Amino acid sequence: MEKFLYNLETFLKTQMNRKGFLKVCCAVLLAFITGNQLLKAAFAKSEDSSGRPKKGLKGLHDIVAVKGGDPYQNTVKAVEQMGGIGRFVKKGDVVVVKPNMAWDRTPRQAANTDPMVVAALVELCYKAGAKRVNVFDIPCNEDRPVYEHSGIAAAAKEKGAFVYFADHWNVVKAKFSYNSSMEGWPVLRDAVVCDTFINVPVLKHHGYTKLTLSMKNLMGVCSGKRGLIHLDIGTKLVDMTDFINPDLTVIDATRVLLRNGPSGGNESDVQAFNTVIAATDPTLADVYACSLVKIDPAEIPYLKAAMARGVGRSDLTQADVLEVQA
Amino acid sequence: MKKLVLLRRISQALFLGLFVYILWSTTYPLGGGISPRILFNLDPALMIFTAVSERLLLPGLVFAFLMIGATFILGRFFCGWVCPLGTVIDAFGSLRKKNARDLSWLNNRRLKNIKYVFLGIFFLLAVAGFQAVWVMDPVVTAARVVSLNVIPAVTFAADRGFVWLIQRFGLYGGFYDFYRGLKAGVLGVRIVFFANALITFIYFLVIGFLSLVVARLWCRALCPLGALYSLVALFSRLERKVDACNGCGLCRRNCRMGAIREEGDYDKGECVLCMDCVYDCPTGKTRFAFKGAAVPALAAPAAGSKGMTRRSFLWLMASSFLSLGGRWAPAARRRVIRPPGAVEEAGFLNTCVRCGNCMKVCVTNGLQPVMLESGWQGLWTPRLVPEIGYCEYNCTLCGQVCPTGAIPRLSREAKKQVRMGLARVDRSLCLAWAHNEPCIVCEEHCPVADKAIKLDIVRVHGRDVSRPVVDRALCIGCGICQNKCPVSPERAIRVEAFVP
Repeated sequence: MEKFLYNLETFLKTQMNRKGFLKVCCAVLLAFITGNQLLKAAFAKSEDSSGRPKKGLKGLHDIVAVKGGDPYQNTVKAVEQMGGIGRFVKKGDVVVVKPNMAWDRTPRQAANTDPMVVAALVELCYKAGAKRVNVFDIPCNEDRPVYEHSGIAAAAKEKGAFVYFADHWNVVKAKFSYNSSMEGWPVLRDAVVCDTFINVPVLKHHGYTKLTLSMKNLMGVCSGKRGLIHLDIGTKLVDMTDFINPDLTVIDATRVLLRNGPSGGNESDVQAFNTVIAATDPTLADVYACSLVKIDPAEIPYLKAAMARGVGRSDLTQADVLEVQA
Repeated sequence: MKKLVLLRRISQALFLGLFVYILWSTTYPLGGGISPRILFNLDPALMIFTAVSERLLLPGLVFAFLMIGATFILGRFFCGWVCPLGTVIDAFGSLRKKNARDLSWLNNRRLKNIKYVFLGIFFLLAVAGFQAVWVMDPVVTAARVVSLNVIPAVTFAADRGFVWLIQRFGLYGGFYDFYRGLKAGVLGVRIVFFANALITFIYFLVIGFLSLVVARLWCRALCPLGALYSLVALFSRLERKVDACNGCGLCRRNCRMGAIREEGDYDKGECVLCMDCVYDCPTGKTRFAFKGAAVPALAAPAAGSKGMTRRSFLWLMASSFLSLGGRWAPAARRRVIRPPGAVEEAGFLNTCVRCGNCMKVCVTNGLQPVMLESGWQGLWTPRLVPEIGYCEYNCTLCGQVCPTGAIPRLSREAKKQVRMGLARVDRSLCLAWAHNEPCIVCEEHCPVADKAIKLDIVRVHGRDVSRPVVDRALCIGCGICQNKCPVSPERAIRVEAFVP
């Protein structure tokens, strides 16, 4: 203690000359500048992006709906009837399979896409020669339990997919050629920088939009304060769909949550429809899915907005719909 | 070749590594292989005082008594060879000038008696019904620093480093996959933050720097666990034996615990078996050996520590008197949201040893250390801060890692029924109530299967607006509604502690 006090006293009593003072000032200033530069570099700004290019890929039919007991076979059959996965995935492609993997629920509770549908798509993509299939989502619950309990991570990994947690720093800023309220929204870079985007939503009830469908599923690639998307959700989701341009939409209607959505939890709210729907036009896919659960598409904000703006087709009577039994 | 010293250093490094490893793996899937509860169950001061204060028979006491049993045989091996805080204090001590003399004005003997006063105070408090040993217990102090300061800082720095490298050099290939693998793995980069964690760190630094004043000052003068072990170590079988002494006093001057007296005699309760004196001795005749069977077990301590026995006798008298009077346990008001299933507030303040396990394991980072929000006794206890993270509906991890059962281990189904708080809609802020905007993010996220947030559908200006209303009977207070509410800066739905 004596020694400590002595040292302290010596330190406090030491006189500082002008040169020493300037030296200290310069050192502190330099430290601040370098520190600031380092911080700036560490928290790099994300680049702008005007979204995925419109490829305009078409299948053999506008909509294929396959009904059968096994969701895996349903998916394989649906893609086959669309003209095969080769229409959408080319050799060496980086493919994103984006399931609805939002809630910490089991597959039986039907709040997330059926793992078998995802697994089938991953396998098909690899068969078509895809270099890499990425499976990710920004869940509403905590990512680790969601990935595990939904069963999707395990099922997709088994087929060789890269399943990982989305990084909120790895985003691009959405830019639109028209006036959009999604302007500047952070969107996952991996969802934009890819060759093929396959949107794999689950058909289920939603308290606000009545149904969660393919457009709503694209909220999963949006980072930022997603609750705000709910304000004027219709326009925002149509803009998002336009931004991402999914090449193929596969709607899982194997087990459908009909009440207390989107998170559900009661198995009694779930009804088995055992159907998988494939389509290239997201609007048309969503409109067809509405007809399955007998809900007027005009009641669904984003479909209403899509119809009003003429994004995609919405008239089922004009569409080439193929319904098959697996 | 100081073989025994080397062995001790290896043991210290191993146990410190193990300590950090166990706390590091105290995260979502709990795949570390070793339960983090065991770290604190092995601490007799924590376990016994908690059990006494709550008049509970904790299952973890078995481990505590195992350690006491081991100390009866080996002495204070824990302090010298195992204790993570002791290891860090030794590391700090190595910064100390080699020939710095210990304080002459502070009598060594008086110094080491301070810790018995602390032990006595903590024991008396426990008998009276307050567990306060967390203030100074070395294991929880070290655990708090590791869980609340070191791991968050290291993971944050590692994460930032990776992100910088990836973004700066565009390494979106294999390097990014490696980073993702790290993040997803058990020992992954997982960034967590803890409010006011700087205070635990400052406390730790003070403890560390104390050893620059006098070697192992914390251990010899303050540590209540050390005091408890030293009382037991008086009876230990393993002893220091000096076969020949030339009175040079080298061992006495170098002893980090100040345990050695003149003429090779030593204070058995103070010795932490650091083995330095074995090699300091110029005659080479100092060794540690087990007592021969012929020596009566109680003879040595009686001669060596008269004062101590009288003191412990006094403490015993005082404490037994208090225990006759029963326990003074005023009901405490719950002012913060406690982890799911937490026992009633007064009991929670006693059984919580502030080890930080629940906060470290919390999957959403929502469990945060309390400063003074729940009274001064509530320092460093966990609270749920929905603003930072909500309570994950299916998650029961905090109960699984709690060493004393302050947060009970619940099955998943039981945990879903447990009520922590109650959500309230602030109708002057809520978009639906105040601005007739459809939003219902809170209803969407409500994890209760039948929805604890119901929608009041009202027709306003020609359109339907769904307004959230909390169902008091169903709401469990998990806080996800507050966490996800898009209204800022103050959320339009907030969860407050549930008071039955």
